[in-house]
Amino acid sequence: MATQARTLGASHYPTRIIIYGLLILWAFICLFPIYWTFSTSFKNAVNVTQGHLIPWMDFVPDWKGWRSVGLSPDTIGQTSTAREEFLKRFENSVIASLSASALAVIIGSSAAYGLSRFSYRFGPMRNKDISFFFLAQLILPPVVLAMPFLVLYKELALLDTRIGLILLYTLMVLPIVIWIMRDQFDTIPLELEQAALVDGCSVWSAFLRIVLPIALPGMVAAFILSVILCWNEYFFAALLTSTNAKTLPVMVASQTGSQGINWWSMAALSAAAITPLIVIGIFLERYIVKGLTAGSVK
Amino acid sequence: MASVDLVDVRKAYGEHEVIHGVSIGISDGQFVALVGPSGCGKSTLLRMIAGLEPITSGEVRIDSKVVNDLEPKDRDIAMVFQNYALYPHKNVADNMGFALQMRRVPKRQIAERVKRAAEILDLVPYLNRYPRQLSGGQRQRVAMGRAIVRDPKVFLFDEPLSNLDAKLRVQMRAEIKELHQRLKTTTVYVTHDQVEAMTMADKIVVLHDGVVEQIGSPLELYDRPANLFVAGFIGSPAMNMIQGIIRPGATPTFEAEDGTRLPLSSAPSNSDGRKAIYGFRPEHLTIGGPVRTEITVIEPTGSETQVVARLAGQKIVGVFRERISARPGEVLTVGPNLSSVHLFDAASGQRLQ
Repeated sequence: MATQARTLGASHYPTRIIIYGLLILWAFICLFPIYWTFSTSFKNAVNVTQGHLIPWMDFVPDWKGWRSVGLSPDTIGQTSTAREEFLKRFENSVIASLSASALAVIIGSSAAYGLSRFSYRFGPMRNKDISFFFLAQLILPPVVLAMPFLVLYKELALLDTRIGLILLYTLMVLPIVIWIMRDQFDTIPLELEQAALVDGCSVWSAFLRIVLPIALPGMVAAFILSVILCWNEYFFAALLTSTNAKTLPVMVASQTGSQGINWWSMAALSAAAITPLIVIGIFLERYIVKGLTAGSVK
Repeated sequence: MASVDLVDVRKAYGEHEVIHGVSIGISDGQFVALVGPSGCGKSTLLRMIAGLEPITSGEVRIDSKVVNDLEPKDRDIAMVFQNYALYPHKNVADNMGFALQMRRVPKRQIAERVKRAAEILDLVPYLNRYPRQLSGGQRQRVAMGRAIVRDPKVFLFDEPLSNLDAKLRVQMRAEIKELHQRLKTTTVYVTHDQVEAMTMADKIVVLHDGVVEQIGSPLELYDRPANLFVAGFIGSPAMNMIQGIIRPGATPTFEAEDGTRLPLSSAPSNSDGRKAIYGFRPEHLTIGGPVRTEITVIEPTGSETQVVARLAGQKIVGVFRERISARPGEVLTVGPNLSSVHLFDAASGQRLQ
């Protein structure tokens, strides 16, 4: 295998150049928006409108954007209402995404384990149909749900509360968690649990001591994906929250002043909002891949 | 150690019955093989003993105690699975000690017992490895180690060697047998390989379509198969079977369909003109006899020569200790060893003689 790869590489040098060229191009396409966001947060109005791109050559970097949200070096020590606002939104986002994801992983894993191990009959529906029923929830466009949720949340006094947001986000990511976890549990051989039963476990202790540790990479992956989805959610956050429970994406979108869009402050906010995701992407990516590529049991 | 008794055990999935009233008695310390083709219900039966499969009707007794409604963990059995079912997130020592840990055995004692089992199975250098770092044979040993550290009443093996290559299988076969002789724990061993069953077991249960065809010691099954199924299943190469009619008389003979006469030592009573199957094992042929066969293939293996030939229009196999110089197409006269000829009723398949 290794020698084959080496000879292939040597004899197909031009192929390699093309492949790497394409990969570099693709990386550029993917990374450019992030670069643009970060660089724009250091631009002033003229630089934004004239499309200057390269710092110190096209334009002189400036803390304007970061100053407007109270996060520049000279404002960080002072009190700033903008920063307080940002931190509050950031906290809302963190709490809503982490809680919803944790809840979804707990509920979703239980449901997935059931679907993977037991046979259910729910009217005419069997396990396969129930799984699809869960996933089918994603087909419904959120707009359709907007009015019902607004009315429902008003009645339940859940409007503009974190709890309301957490419940909604849990509901939103649950199908994906169930789907991922069911695949995970399906890859764990039944014999492992049976061996545990023979070894002295009850059904529950077999689940907790044998199945759960093996499915852990998948659960971590499902959790991270859920966090990302919740973190980026805009539509329901904009619809159902206002002063108290508003999240970061809503705040980013609201950076439009009377003279137009404040690109610099929006870029600074966006940069602050996407940084956690970039960190997750860089450090936890391999866990996501490991968790999602089944066959961890061998 | 304990006896295991199955009394009229049945298993049905809905309307569909797959085990039709099986009764087997296994005495303390016995090594019993459940053998049969795939789908005969042998694994289901084993899993019913283990408690992993509910029993539809009948009784399973371990040590004279009915265990039908006991959880697997309360039956004091240890099972070795076909795919080993080693816990991938635990190392070898933890895999082997898990059952003891679940029974709250003190840690020092667990370590001691794991070490002793590892010594028996040559696993000491691997105690800190994970299952994925082991070869197939080593995994197999760990699975057995997991069973023996417990010192259970009964060992259950579910085709434990079928994932190993041929050479390793023969080696592990001997090791399991040796282990049994050493520990003397009652063992139920499921296999589809009749050679495994023959070489390892004290007692073989031949299953076919959820019914017990015959129970007996390996040689009993070999020498006196109760019916055509057992005759064909036990022994390799398989028994030669020729259809025809019994002709009793002063010199009883068996007349094959094309009129070829085969010798019989005696005919069963009331068997004149009865349709029957004449069976003889390949090694029970001697060269130079009253029966003419036409050689199709000769396969010398050095120690013996296997000859495929045609007799009465049917293919038969003979195994001879002597070397044969004849060529395909030539005629070889042979004679079945009269005391080793089996007669089965053509309709019921049951043994006549």
